Amino acid sequence: MMTLIETITVGSGGAASIEFTGIPQDGKDLVCLISVRSTGSSSFTTRFNSDSGSNYSTRKLGVDDTTVVSSSRTSQAQFDQNDIISATSNTFASMQIYISNYASSANKSVSIDKVTEENSSSSYSQIQAGSYSTSSAITSILFTHPFAEHSTASLYIIS
Amino acid sequence: MATPTYDLLESVTLATSATSVTFSSIDQSYGDLVLVCNLGANNANGLSAGVRVNDSTTDYSFVLMRNSGSSTQGIGGTAGYFKFFNSAGNTSSKALHNMNFFDYSSTDKHKSVLARHNVDGTAVSAVAYRWANTNAITKLDVMTNSSSYEFAAGSTINLYGVAK
Repeated sequence: MMTLIETITVGSGGAASIEFTGIPQDGKDLVCLISVRSTGSSSFTTRFNSDSGSNYSTRKLGVDDTTVVSSSRTSQAQFDQNDIISATSNTFASMQIYISNYASSANKSVSIDKVTEENSSSSYSQIQAGSYSTSSAITSILFTHPFAEHSTASLYIIS
Repeated sequence: MATPTYDLLESVTLATSATSVTFSSIDQSYGDLVLVCNLGANNANGLSAGVRVNDSTTDYSFVLMRNSGSSTQGIGGTAGYFKFFNSAGNTSSKALHNMNFFDYSSTDKHKSVLARHNVDGTAVSAVAYRWANTNAITKLDVMTNSSSYEFAAGSTINLYGVAK
């Protein structure tokens, strides 16, 4: 079963963060669906349990406009997403973050898909393999970014 | 409250290492299937693995894009099963495989599958598969390609049905 836990919608004036806390521990996996637009240039960051330790790693593959891009990062303090859009009016980036076995004591496997589109050469599509290397169950998720009004994040539990 | 449309059909957590996990007599009343595998392996260099349908060893094709290390790659080809690209993890990294089987119970079309394969922080790929067979999918074997390779204890494999 896929159950909506909470949807957070950014109100007038924007917000610097979106956070899900007290995540129930009775599921198998988590899915977070995000629609986001920026008011600034800071990257979109994801942290679990407010953990800023060097426990996050990613491998990326994507297309920036017409160029294939790839990268790898290890021992990071969070998952970072650049290239969130802000130019074209009413246009939002879309992202899915899938977290497997979030309540377990094993390292967490994370799958991230992201797309952005604008009326310019700055469009992006990206897939990422992530790892959150701790034994702690994930009880909270914190996104930081200069979120524009009407940005949304919905958290689902798969059980 | 809307009617639930995403049902867990079967869940397996390996208590000991194993070379395969089988889902048989799959409920035919759903529209699509979603298979989520979070796998460790007993081999430090990773292992080859995948999913076989209805015991069939033919008619599988794929096209993929991936970043598995020093370079990116786009390729297509055929195989004897739905191969997990980037391997199925190793002794230090788990792999997360999400596979969507579309219209799996139909008997009038070849089966399409979209998948994402990740090895934690080290490899990523997206794959489109086809099983060129009109039979309904009634059985899935998640398997390594060698009896000397095993999925590690603690690996989880979950099969979900998505309502029509």
